[in-house]
Parts: sequence; structure tokens; C-alpha cells
Amino acid sequence: MLDFARIMLRQQVLADFGEFALRSQDLDKILAEACRLVGDALGTGRSKILEIQHKERSLLVRAGVGWDPGIVGQLRMPMEEHSSETFAIEAGEPVVTQDISKEERFDVPPFMKEAGVVALVNVPILLPGGRAYGLLQVDDLKVRDFGEDETQFLRTYAAILGPVIDRLLMARTLYSSEERFRLTVEAALDYAIFLSDPQDRITDWLPGAQAVFGWTAEEAVGQPSAIIFTPEDRERRQDQWEIETACQEGVAPNVRWHVRKDGSRVFIEGSTRALRDPDGTLRGFLKIGQDVTERRRSEEQLRENAARLEVLVAELQHRSRNLLGVITSVAYKTLGEEGPAAGFLARLQALSRAQGLLSEFGSDTAEVGALVRAELEAHTEISPPKVALSGPRVLLTVRQVQNFSLAIHELATNAVKYGALRDGTGQLSVTWTVSQDETSQRRLFLDWTESGVDVQPGKVIRRGYGRQLIERALSYALHAKTEFVLGEDGVLCRIQLPLE
Amino acid sequence: MSEATGLLVGRRILLVEDEFMIADTMEEWLRRASAEVIGPVPSVKQALELIEGEAEALDGAVLDVNLGRGETAYPIADRLNELGVPYLFATGDVRIIDRPTHQGRPRLNKPISRAQLLRAVESLLASRLPPAR
Repeated sequence: MLDFARIMLRQQVLADFGEFALRSQDLDKILAEACRLVGDALGTGRSKILEIQHKERSLLVRAGVGWDPGIVGQLRMPMEEHSSETFAIEAGEPVVTQDISKEERFDVPPFMKEAGVVALVNVPILLPGGRAYGLLQVDDLKVRDFGEDETQFLRTYAAILGPVIDRLLMARTLYSSEERFRLTVEAALDYAIFLSDPQDRITDWLPGAQAVFGWTAEEAVGQPSAIIFTPEDRERRQDQWEIETACQEGVAPNVRWHVRKDGSRVFIEGSTRALRDPDGTLRGFLKIGQDVTERRRSEEQLRENAARLEVLVAELQHRSRNLLGVITSVAYKTLGEEGPAAGFLARLQALSRAQGLLSEFGSDTAEVGALVRAELEAHTEISPPKVALSGPRVLLTVRQVQNFSLAIHELATNAVKYGALRDGTGQLSVTWTVSQDETSQRRLFLDWTESGVDVQPGKVIRRGYGRQLIERALSYALHAKTEFVLGEDGVLCRIQLPLE
Repeated sequence: MSEATGLLVGRRILLVEDEFMIADTMEEWLRRASAEVIGPVPSVKQALELIEGEAEALDGAVLDVNLGRGETAYPIADRLNELGVPYLFATGDVRIIDRPTHQGRPRLNKPISRAQLLRAVESLLASRLPPAR
């Protein structure tokens, strides 16, 4: 009966411990309770749990009863090859020492001898999968033979301890990674982050969302996500579109103006992601967005300014062209079109053409080929061999265009009156290239070459204002060089113009 | 010449203007009034070189404010202030707000007629007439 009572007691201990371990989440408390119960059950009042510290290759007295506070939670002993503990862990089963003075298999740690320990049993605690967690150690101050029933009881006890310890260790790891995750997310105040359920009702509203949108978690949770959409977007069912897209594609962009609690607007760049169980069931939505209102406002301002500027430039170009048209009309009505008025009107028209090309090319540049072509087409048909043009695409700035056009106009007028374009016999070639000088300054080289002209002294080159326009207008502010000479059978003019 | 009132005769006037056509015309108007035109030049650099290179003092200056590519005539005005040479601004940009040191200088808004230019330069010179010769 005695044996039966003892067995019943030990069964009771195992059952009590199992229950306690299920209820508790505190590993230290569970281990302390385990030591107390096993010390009682075996009648020694002394037991401890040693935990392997893998990094340090040592054993920590993690819990214990019957031991000084200076030892429990403090003492670490090296895992030496010849220690009783290492021996038991390697054996993988309970190792009994009846009398440590007669023990020959291993050494017993000095602190245990000092405490008067005479007999002990070491039971390895294994985690699921077989990895050793440590040892359950029961000590006695007198010579004792731990019987078969006792070692079996301790094996069972250790077999329960293993999974219990494993569960709590895992929970602790999970808790700390969850805690890290929570701290990270809560610190991300520049990002509005929240979760919603499958009906898109807000379930989790993180501090970043409060910082960006103004509602507290209490106010936001339970509301539909659409509360942050503008009335216009709700009208256009953008909130619906977003979650439908997230459901279909996995993720939907969320880049739009949103409303804050106080009614002001905030521009968010972010996305809405559908969250699903492994089996595909929709669990809800994760919404993450960054407040980029400042940037957005400056961009919109810039766009508005650019658009306004474009309108203004177009209006100015329109007015300049009109003004030149008005001047031409006034001149015609005032002066007629004979004599000096003819030259004046022709120059006004050259200016108008240049102005027209400037507005055609967008804003403030015009192309050399187009300028030359427009000027010559006002006088003649451009077709080789009589008139040939060739050169790359070169853009001139608004500063250059006016004087360049006037110079070309004077050359063309000269050619019509005295040179290659006067009758059917002469030829005109206009060619241009761009090259860089030693200071990396790009220059336009344009050659105006007339040939087949019956050169009569004094009748080939105009004097006065026209020539001045060719030779001085370009050089004055544009640093161009113009060489204007009379060759054997016509005018040769080379214009060298630094490009901007 | 008939348009010469005498006030401009032999006066040395610096002309700074980046647009050739306008510079050419203003130069002609001043010359016909028998003034001696220094320049015209289209840039700050060339204007300052001219000012330093002149042995004789200038009697006055006509400055276009906007010289293109963001350049303004203010550095020239500063130098003329130091030298005590009177000047006027001729500008096509009515929005330009002259800096404090140049405020109070006469200003002509383009387009400028010959009569306006000559009258303005005459009154500029009259403000510091030299002793009668």
C-alpha cells in the first residue's frame, strides 16, 4: 500500500504540474514549481534545473529549491567533459550517483560537495526533436539509491517539462518579434498604416494613421475606410474601385488626395493590399501610405506656373506678330510701297517671318534651316541646282534669330537685285556646319556662295544700310564674324556665330 | 545741324544698349546733335573697359537696363556713381524696380523718340554744366 500511495502521490504531482504548466505563461515560475514538486515527491527538498548556455558552453542554475539564492539564477558551471552533468546529457537518460565519494565516472562540481550533497540523480530534459535543453537534478545529503520507480518518475517528469519549456521559449521569441514589429510600426509616424476587415471597416488604426489623418484609434476603428476619401472620390466610387482592384490584383495603388478629420486635405502616396489566409479566404486589407502633401503642393504650384507662363508666352508671341502686322499696314498706308517704302516693308516682313518661326518652334528657339528657307522662299523657288541648301539642324536663341534673319534677308535681297537670283543664270548655295573650337565653344559656320553671276563692278554689292546689317548687326552683341567679299563670279559670305 | 541746340555739342556720351538696331539709331541721333558718342557697346564688360580706357572724363551716359541673358547695367551705374558721371536709364521693361542707389535717376521708357532722347540727355547735362568756356 505504501508503494501504491507513493505512486498515487507521484501521479498527483505529475497531474498538478501539467495543469499548472498549462495555465502559466511564466517560464521561471513553472521551473520553480517543477523543482518544488519534484523535491517534495522524492522527499529530498532539494532539486534544480540546469539550462545549457550554448554560446558559453556552460550550465546555468535556472531554478531550484533547497539552494541558496546566490546559486539559483546566478551560478554557471562550465560544461566540462568529465562533469556529471555533461555525462548525463550525453547519456540521454537518468544517471544516478549513490555516493559521490565513490563516484568514478565523472567529477561532481565543488559547490555541491561544499553544500554537503552525497547522492544525486541527473535527468536530461529534451526539447521536442531531441535537442537537449538541460538537466533536472535531484540531490540528497545522505547516501541514497534512487530506485527504478523513482528514475522512471523523473523520466516522465522531464518528458513533460520538455514540451512545456519549448512552448514558452517559442512564445517568448514570438512575443519579442511581435513587440519589435509593433514598436517599428508605431514609430513610423510619417506613414499612415491601418487595417480593415473584408467589408473594409477599420480594425486597426496605428499611430501613424492618427498623425496623418487626425482621428484617434477609438474614433476610427469600426468606421468604413471610405471616411478618408474625398467626397468627389466617393462620388466616383474610387473607394470601391480600390478594394476591388486589391481583391483582384492583390494590391491597388492609392495615390490621391484624402480628407483629414478636420476636413483639410492630405495627399497620400501608398497602396492597399488584400490580406488572405493560406486557403485564399479574404481576411481584410492593409493600407499603407505616405503623406506627400508638401511635395504635391509644390509640384502643383510648379505645374500651374508653367501652364500660366505658357499662356503668357503664347499671348506675347501673338501680340508681337500682330504688332508687326499692324506696323506693316500703317507703313503701307502712310508710305505706299514704292521707293524707300519697299525696302522698309520687305525688312518688316523679314522680321515678321522670324517672329513667326520663333513661335512655331515652341518658345524661344528657331532653326537655321527654317530661317534661311523662309527668307529665300519669299523671293524664289528653292530647287537645285539654282538654289541649294544643306546643313544640320541647329537651333538659334531668340536673341540671335532677329539679327540672323535680317542678315539673311539682306543677302537674299542683294542676290535678287544684283546677284545669283537676278536672272536665270546664277546659282546660290547655302551650307552650314557646327564645330567646336579649343575652348569648347560651339560655332555655326554658314557659307553663302553665289556663282555664275556676271560681275560688274559697283553693281553687285549694295552699299549702306543693307551691308551694315549684314556685317555689323550680327557682330555687335552676338560676337559673330562676318566676311563679305566679291568673288570671281558672285558674292561669298561666311558667317561665324557662337552658339549659346 | 539744325537739331543741335548747342548743349550737346562736343559732349562725351557713353551709350550702352544690347540691341544693335536701337543702339545704331540712338548713336545716329546723338551724333547729329553733335555729341561725341562713346560706344555704343552691348555689355557690362565692354562698357567698363571703355570707361576705364577713356583719358577724358565722360559727360553723361545712356544705359539700357536689361542687357540680355540676365545681365543688367547696374554695375556700370555703380561705377558712374563713383566717378560722378550723370546717367539715365533707357528701358523696355516697365516692371524693373531700380535699386536704391540708382533711384532718382532719370528714366526713359522704350520706345524712345529722338526728341525724348535729346531732351533727356540735355537736362542730364544741364544738371552739372561746366564753367563757361
